[in-house]
Amino acid sequence: MRRTIAAVAFALLAAAPLRAQTQVLIVGGLGGEPKFVERFRMLGAELSGALHARFGIPDASIAWLGEDSTSRDPRYRGPSTRAAVEKQIEAIKARCAPGSQVVIIFIGHGAGTEAESRISLPGPDVTVADVKRWMDGFPQQRLAFVNLTSASGDFLPIIAAPGRVVITATKTGFERNESRFAEFFVKALSQDVADVDKDSRVSLLEAFRYAARETKRVYDNAAKLQTEHSQLDDDGSKQNTADPTGRGGQGMLARRFFLDARTAVTAAGGDAALAGLYSQKFELEVQVDSLRSRKASTPKEKYESDLEQVLIDLARKSREIRRAEGRP
Amino acid sequence: MRSLGRHRSIRYAPAFAVACAWAVLALVAVAPAARAQRAAGPQSVEEARIANAMGKYAEGTGFLERVAKTDSSWMDAQVELIRAFVIISKYDDAERLARAAVAAPGGRQALTAYGEVLATRGKYAAADSMFARAIAEHASDSLMASLNLALLAKRRGDMPRATAGFDRFIDIYNTASQTLTSREMMAVGIACRELGAGNPELFKDALKALDRAVVIDPANMEARVLLGELFLEKYNGAEAQKTLDEVLQINASNPRALVASASRLIFDGQPGADSLLLAALAVSPEFAPARVLAAHGMVDVERFADAIREAERALKVNPADADALAVLAGAKFVSGDEKGFEETKARVLAINPRDAGFFVELAEMTGRVRRYSVAADFARQAIAADPKNWKAHSVLGMNLMRLGKIPEGRASLDTAFKGDPFDVWVKNTLDLLDTFKNYDNSSTAHVNYMIEKTESAVISVYLHDLAEKAYSRFTQRYQFTPPPPIRIEVYRSHADFSVRTVGLAGLGALGVSFGTTLAFDSPAAKDAGPFNWASTVWHELAHTFTLGSTDHRIPRWLSEGLSVWEEHQARAGWGASVSPGFLEAFRTGKLVPVSRMNDGFMRPKYPDQIPFSYFQASLVCDLIVRDFGEKALMALLNEYKAGRTTDDAFQKVTGQDMAAFDKRFDTYMKQRFAGPLAAIAIPGPEYPAGMGVSEFKARADSLPGSYRAQVLAGMAFIKTNQNLEAIRMLERAHALFPLYGDNDSPAVMLAKLYGESGDKAKAIAMLKVVALSDESAFDANVQLGTLLAAANDSAGAMDALERAVFVNPFPADVHKSLAALAAARGDHARHVREREALVALDPVDKAAALFDLAVAYRSAGDEMKARRTVLRALEDAPNFERAQDLLLAIVDGRKP
Repeated sequence: MRRTIAAVAFALLAAAPLRAQTQVLIVGGLGGEPKFVERFRMLGAELSGALHARFGIPDASIAWLGEDSTSRDPRYRGPSTRAAVEKQIEAIKARCAPGSQVVIIFIGHGAGTEAESRISLPGPDVTVADVKRWMDGFPQQRLAFVNLTSASGDFLPIIAAPGRVVITATKTGFERNESRFAEFFVKALSQDVADVDKDSRVSLLEAFRYAARETKRVYDNAAKLQTEHSQLDDDGSKQNTADPTGRGGQGMLARRFFLDARTAVTAAGGDAALAGLYSQKFELEVQVDSLRSRKASTPKEKYESDLEQVLIDLARKSREIRRAEGRP
Repeated sequence: MRSLGRHRSIRYAPAFAVACAWAVLALVAVAPAARAQRAAGPQSVEEARIANAMGKYAEGTGFLERVAKTDSSWMDAQVELIRAFVIISKYDDAERLARAAVAAPGGRQALTAYGEVLATRGKYAAADSMFARAIAEHASDSLMASLNLALLAKRRGDMPRATAGFDRFIDIYNTASQTLTSREMMAVGIACRELGAGNPELFKDALKALDRAVVIDPANMEARVLLGELFLEKYNGAEAQKTLDEVLQINASNPRALVASASRLIFDGQPGADSLLLAALAVSPEFAPARVLAAHGMVDVERFADAIREAERALKVNPADADALAVLAGAKFVSGDEKGFEETKARVLAINPRDAGFFVELAEMTGRVRRYSVAADFARQAIAADPKNWKAHSVLGMNLMRLGKIPEGRASLDTAFKGDPFDVWVKNTLDLLDTFKNYDNSSTAHVNYMIEKTESAVISVYLHDLAEKAYSRFTQRYQFTPPPPIRIEVYRSHADFSVRTVGLAGLGALGVSFGTTLAFDSPAAKDAGPFNWASTVWHELAHTFTLGSTDHRIPRWLSEGLSVWEEHQARAGWGASVSPGFLEAFRTGKLVPVSRMNDGFMRPKYPDQIPFSYFQASLVCDLIVRDFGEKALMALLNEYKAGRTTDDAFQKVTGQDMAAFDKRFDTYMKQRFAGPLAAIAIPGPEYPAGMGVSEFKARADSLPGSYRAQVLAGMAFIKTNQNLEAIRMLERAHALFPLYGDNDSPAVMLAKLYGESGDKAKAIAMLKVVALSDESAFDANVQLGTLLAAANDSAGAMDALERAVFVNPFPADVHKSLAALAAARGDHARHVREREALVALDPVDKAAALFDLAVAYRSAGDEMKARRTVLRALEDAPNFERAQDLLLAIVDGRKP
């Protein structure tokens, strides 16, 4: 039984990075006060820029909607009205192939609870029912829904589903205070701060954990009670969503959900021999993942011994690649 | 989680509301009588009763004494007079009157009052017969007589008879509650209170009955005071005080209410009990409860002879007074008078062979003077005498906890809470025990630690080493090995620490030593404010040795003084230091003399007196070492261990009596702090609001020896951004008091000004003053460390940064700087320690922290730990190239 589960995980993890092509929609909501208008604009601009520059996502695959109608950003697609959001969703649907990735990110103010949860936009708000309908329209894609608005917590139980990463900045709709999570989440994707597994990539899990921890630090340092508690669900269980580890349970999918679309071939830059080395390296990475996911059920000595051997192999393979690439 | 008895929050509230309402009515009711009395004094027995209830005893008793024997109200007057005389300590007069009254026609109405007088004087057999006669002769207050008989039976330990007597009152209430008088209803309340030990629910009924007694007769002060006492007995200080305040508003001279209020203040750790006691004794000079409470106060400040004197005075009124005998026995025991203790104990047990309360009192008293093991033994004797004495279980549990016997302590507390669900100390402690699962347990050679999981790793890095160093030093100095293990508990929440220490939140201390069990605030306990947690550990561990080496007989003040003295010896900058406030207190005679130093800790007269006393006590140790050598300190401890008093111990070790030593200390202070004392003593003119900077300067120039004038002028120049002038003034101030470096010191201001002007050398000099004067100066130490590192003084920089860590170990940047400095100096041990701390801080980039630790291990030559650690880094970050290279280097056997 344990072997069966491990094999399924192996297949899922192994397959994911090879097929990912990413479409991203960023929606900056209604700011209200000038400081929020400016903050949401800056976060949207920073994020869309990072997606292009750091993750190599083509401008055509990034749509940013916001309040700033004068923006000349090549990824800016106009005001963030509900109709415009819906139009962009349809456009993404039309251009994304089965197996590709779709990431929808909201920045701004939220309101309401449970089925009444919504995101404030110029004109009519977007409701949780809208989002659910849109997400359900991508049955063959890998989906991530990231709601960085205040009072976003009640989106999670409604949107969460197996095979779908859902991140909210707060635990419930009652956490309505200004959220700090968004700025750290954007920072995780736009700066070299969140790659804790040192694979030169930032997964959604890494971005989430970085942002969650830094948010907590802000409150701790100010000796204030934390008024926002971010959540992540990527198995549809809606359980234990505050501290996903990616080592079993919540976080397994998010840990392998990258916004870039790296494969052995792309990593090798078209060099066939190097692509082979990368392929072997990826294989070893999968072995590490597989071992770690079985840590709790493996005797300690065996786990450490097996892990050490795979890590040594991986280190040697990495060195081989670096030498082949002419790197120190 | 447990909840307090429901009625504390649900049923007490309406009961109290009733009491409040009647308090108002009572005032209205008495007001006309009072107006009448102002004109002509009481005109009837009832008005005299009200006058007494309002504390106008002279008027009340004066009228009652004048009532003619032929008057139809004469007997009522006698009963009222007897009770009033008892209140104001005229026991002989009361007894004489009572004797005459019962012999007079209709004398049966005075039998109960007579019995009460006799009982108050300890003549229990005679009292018994009076109460029995009152019942047999159907006196109108025979129910009170029945209650008194049951109380006397209890006093003698005849619990079956007492319980049967109390139990009757339940039936009386259920069948005749509408016809009971106020005093009879009060009797029901007292009976229910007594029965509450077996059934805590009956405490609610006691409240109900006492409330009803007040409703029936708002002038029944005794019932009101009983209500307050009952609240206090059930650990509700706030409600107790509200109730007692009502009494005192009506009668500010009610001795019993004053004593109960004093007890309430002590219960809540508030000052002022002494003056209430004095007020009570002014009205009733021989009032035994006041004398007993005073004796307790004397024991707390370790003035045992005075405590004995107070207890014996109480016993002159009633040689069988249980409370007075208990405090007498306790005082004799803690003062080392074993024979006197045994004699007193024999007196107690002759009256009541199963007097559990006596042993509870002894347990509480010995616990208060830090003899926890003895306290636990007394509590066990109390339980043996009466297994249903819940207080005994509570006291046993608390003392076992202090002795580090956690499971046993918890079992006793569980028993106590089942029997008395009102005990807020027990409830808080049990709730705290429920959180112990959130703590890590670890140990070193001589010490066990309990630290909250979230901070256990980082604190352990330092604490383990620190505690073992202290252990080693103190074992050598005091030639004493504490019984293992020493247990250190570190609390992230100050409220939890406070509960652990005193059972309640709100304790002002940061650490406590129960001997071999120590508890501290964690440096993360922000509500405690910044403090030096390492010096606190050192301080408390010193207590372990000074308490242990004297069998816990060292006086509080000397134990504290030695602990501060040890802080000073351990590391420059640790421990309390001299301040203008301290010297001003000395100069103006506000420091207590050495001969009464415990008062400075236990009976502070002003808010700063406790911290001043800590420093003062350490100076006493300095003086002893200077004049008699360090051996004299140890000799003093030996004298205390042998049971000597402070007078005797000092006489033997220093050859001086305490009066002479007080003078010696005074001289020492004047010599040691001559300069600063002179500088703060120069009186300047007043500084009215709105003074200009030039006026400040003129005054500073005209009073060049005045510390205050220079500081104020310097501050005025800072406000007007005239930094050069400010520096000139503050340099003069600093020269007058060069040791002072606290927040408001010239050194702090000068360091900032020098820093702003780019004069790093002078900034460093001032920051050193701050760092060595204020042990909690985190920012100054970080700044100093940074400046010293830039000036290539890596040793000095490391010292400064370590001092900062001892205030706040959580900022990663300080550890990173320390690690870099240690690595550069080849100080592998400290390099490893700092890298361990950084991993323990659980950074976002843990893989990088683990890698750095692995490098440190490898530099220190520990390949095994390096390999294990780099694997941990790679487990988190399999593609971490530098870690991969390190792993391969280790595996391939390449040298670092």
